[in-house]
Amino acid sequence: MKGRSSRTVLLWVANLLGVAAFLWPFVLPAAIGGQEAHSVDAPWILAGLVGAVGGLLFVELGRGGLGPKAVALIGVLGAAMVVLRLPGSVGGFSPLFLVVLIAGNAFGPGFGFVLGATGLLASALFVGGLGPWVPFQMVAVGWVGMGAGVLPRSGGWRIRIAALALYGFVSGYLFGAVMNLWSWPYIAGGSAIGWDATSGPAANLANYGRFYVLTSLVWDTFRAVGNAAMVLLIGRPMLGALDRAARKMDLTVRSPATSSGGSA
Amino acid sequence: MHPGAWLIWALGAGTVAASTTNPFYLFPLVAVSYLVHSTHRGTGPQARSFRFFLTFAAFAFTTRTLFVALTPGGPTWDGLWFDALEGARLATLLIVFGTFNAVTDPFKVLRLAPRRFHEPALAAALALSLTPRTLESVTQVREAQRLRGMDVARWRSWAGLVIPVLETGMEQAVVLAESMDARGHGRTRRSRYRPERWTTGAMLIAAAAVAAAGPFVIAYLDHSGALSVPTYPIRWPSVSMWLLAGVFCLGMPALVPRHEERR
Amino acid sequence: MTAAVSIESVSFSYPGESLRVIDDAILQIEEGSFVLVTGPTGSGKSTFLRTINGLVPHFTGGVFQGRVLVGGRSTVDVTPRELADVVAFVPQDPGASFVVDRVEDELAYAMENLGMEPHTMRRRVEETLDLLAIHDIRGRSVRTLSGGERQRVAIASALTPGPRVLVLDEPTSQLDPQGAEDVMAALQRLVHDLGMTVICAEHRLERVAGFADLAIGCGGGRFTIGEPHDIVDRFASGPPVARLGRLAGWDPIPLTVREARRMRGTMPSPPPIEISGAGAPILSASGIVASYGDKQVLHGVNLLAAEGEIVAIMGRNGAGKSTLLRCLVGLHRHEGSVEIRGSKPVPGRTIALCPQSPDSILFKETVIEEVQATVSYTRSGVDVTTVLSALGIAGRSHRHPRDLSAGERMLVATAATVAGGAPVLLLDEPTRGLDLAAKEKLQDYLRRYVAARGAVLFATHDVELVAELATRVILLANGEVIADGPPARVLGDSPVFAPQMARVFGPGWLTPEQVHGAMSAGEARTR
Repeated sequence: MKGRSSRTVLLWVANLLGVAAFLWPFVLPAAIGGQEAHSVDAPWILAGLVGAVGGLLFVELGRGGLGPKAVALIGVLGAAMVVLRLPGSVGGFSPLFLVVLIAGNAFGPGFGFVLGATGLLASALFVGGLGPWVPFQMVAVGWVGMGAGVLPRSGGWRIRIAALALYGFVSGYLFGAVMNLWSWPYIAGGSAIGWDATSGPAANLANYGRFYVLTSLVWDTFRAVGNAAMVLLIGRPMLGALDRAARKMDLTVRSPATSSGGSA
Repeated sequence: MHPGAWLIWALGAGTVAASTTNPFYLFPLVAVSYLVHSTHRGTGPQARSFRFFLTFAAFAFTTRTLFVALTPGGPTWDGLWFDALEGARLATLLIVFGTFNAVTDPFKVLRLAPRRFHEPALAAALALSLTPRTLESVTQVREAQRLRGMDVARWRSWAGLVIPVLETGMEQAVVLAESMDARGHGRTRRSRYRPERWTTGAMLIAAAAVAAAGPFVIAYLDHSGALSVPTYPIRWPSVSMWLLAGVFCLGMPALVPRHEERR
Repeated sequence: MTAAVSIESVSFSYPGESLRVIDDAILQIEEGSFVLVTGPTGSGKSTFLRTINGLVPHFTGGVFQGRVLVGGRSTVDVTPRELADVVAFVPQDPGASFVVDRVEDELAYAMENLGMEPHTMRRRVEETLDLLAIHDIRGRSVRTLSGGERQRVAIASALTPGPRVLVLDEPTSQLDPQGAEDVMAALQRLVHDLGMTVICAEHRLERVAGFADLAIGCGGGRFTIGEPHDIVDRFASGPPVARLGRLAGWDPIPLTVREARRMRGTMPSPPPIEISGAGAPILSASGIVASYGDKQVLHGVNLLAAEGEIVAIMGRNGAGKSTLLRCLVGLHRHEGSVEIRGSKPVPGRTIALCPQSPDSILFKETVIEEVQATVSYTRSGVDVTTVLSALGIAGRSHRHPRDLSAGERMLVATAATVAGGAPVLLLDEPTRGLDLAAKEKLQDYLRRYVAARGAVLFATHDVELVAELATRVILLANGEVIADGPPARVLGDSPVFAPQMARVFGPGWLTPEQVHGAMSAGEARTR
């Protein structure tokens, strides 16, 4: 029981830290000074996030957390993410998202977040290269997996695949929109598409919209279409396989007669 | 050889590969890795992972360079050159990783992790050991499916090849986790059956790796541009003898004799 | 005597399923006993074994009632790792459970986890290497071992920490008859000398029945413990001597060759050896030479099979059986030629092979779709439901293949291979995990298959299967054919490969039905 509650707390902490990391330049505009995005705060946010996500992983992967079975699956699926990132990306699309979408949907939000974050970190170590953007990506990919886990899992296969494909399409744009935020306040400051601390939220939102359409829309369309196409084309058998694994992961031991049972 | 020495070597070589796109550093690093692999590779199928990662590296390099053509805005020479350099960096990293895989067993490295970190380390070790296992499983599945009449070359057969590999991979990982648990993994302080010692050779390898990574880290941190290759416009990259010497330091394992297995 | 394992009103069902795999089991297993667990394919033997060290329910979830006490500790309260010093478990597929790369390190792994002293570990490793006769592979990588070697190494690494209870799930399925005998004898010594408790599930009862002093029978979720003769009589149909005993009305039924000899009475005169009329040749292979690395494993094997023949390929572990099959289908590089009806074999069309590990071909979500897939690849026109009911798995048609027991998965893979209707069908150890009823169905199906389509060749260690099914036996040793002929002649006087009937009644006898027929004919004459 203790493991479960500390898990939930850590999941929240990691998420809140993620939100804070993305949003704090908007709240404390005076801190923005340098040319390079997050050159000042990034190391700190990185430390905080890696600490929180690391703590989360440690508790999730450790005793009382997900248990050795889930640890094994995170190892396997994380490795699959690394491999799928190898061929590179076409525009903003990478096959890595397929694993996050499907595994998140099959295993649920918590697993989806942890897998997204861990897999991204691992793939960054090998493939993407490390930089201040990595913790932001970890959180953003984690969110993609978490969202996939929130989608309804009931209904027929067609409905599930259609919903997941639609979600993949939408999250393709959302991921880009969220990832932009980490650098936007710094790079386009003062222009018509930049962030202006003095104007209101509505004006800023419009600026961001223009910025997004100009810089990211085409790029993210690759991701959105790619995600949806992958889910539609090859998602069904893979979802079947992961669903089965997820069913077997239900480690709740119920012991109706005796009181000595507990959650494994 | 102490697995820690290999871990430090891989971290050193990985740092070097990750910090630069300069082919004058990357190519020697590939050569040095090959040398290390050929002098120290193990006996099991694990040892085949070098060749496997070499293929992987070539594949990643090619696709990454070609995908530029598909980027919005169309390909440019500058873009192509840039992506080729990035691809070369990635390919080198993969080759370094392949060497690490070929010379040591991930589960030996796993034992270095403190007991409290066993589970995260287990995930990492499983992920690391996955490549050779998956490789075996891919061959097995392809052969078996062909012999029941599946046309394995057809695109429509993909599920018959991917799903068994995926399912078997997940099942094997779970069975392994189960087997480790049932055999008392992480239960108490482990003792060592045949402890690997920090021999002079192992320490030399570790020291050389640190010495190799040092100059690259310094060059990276002072933003002098010594590690990058100018792409806009394309110019000939410069070479520093210090950095090149660092790369060759990573060849140290080739000079250290591998221990004869005690019988 | 105290109970090593006590199972107190245990019921268990897997998550999301209402069926109780174990239904109110109450058993006491006394310390120092050798227990055989028997029952039909898919009756929950593996699940039962896995409750003993807590893998069920800790690694499966589900609804668990009652408690299992091992060494005084309840498996629900502690995790499997806390029981690692008391119980050791050897799973069905030993290869998947290896953790470390080198054989010797694998043997030491559990001891290291328990924090044993280095000199104790050294001694135990040496002793266990001796006990299981695996000294010569101690330095090898576990990934390069053959099936039989893997099984020995898995058993050895379970033994090294000195468990009080050893649980084995089909430990001899990949061992040749002699190897199985040796391993069982080694385990019996540990039971007798050290008072270890051995609990072992095995379908090939002829290999273990003689060693057991207790047996647990399972069926329909019920688990009954008792005296082996009694339990085998109620829950299993084999071994062959027991089948003969049942046919002849002996009481109690014999379980071993020795017991059967005492009860056999007058010996029927040996039967004439039937030599099947050779049909037209369908498969001809000549001069097959193949190597692994720089080691030659087949030295010029010649092999002919005629239409309608069922050829068994036998030999001790490492004799080159699997390699020969792989050469025939063209998976392994070799010299020499292979022809089917005069032309080059086409994998999947004119020749098909069912792999030893069924999991490498299973990818559909139901059994019926899996078999249907083969039919659509090969356009063989085979009727899927007919195959499934012929093999006795029609009731599983809509289950997920990977959710079935090991024996049932083997049958699904076999079904998915035979559905291609290839004229030459190869099977590699097709009866792993199968009970006698399933084996008999498979045999009937294969006899009909060769009558309609061509020939079947199968590699196996299962002597009794060969005695029942094969029309011809090819014996391999060290990469060469050392005998080739009808089973009665090839197996009859071999100390290693002789079936139980030949051991009791002399060379020439193969099956209990055959012996019983001769016995009743003899009685009729004397009357």
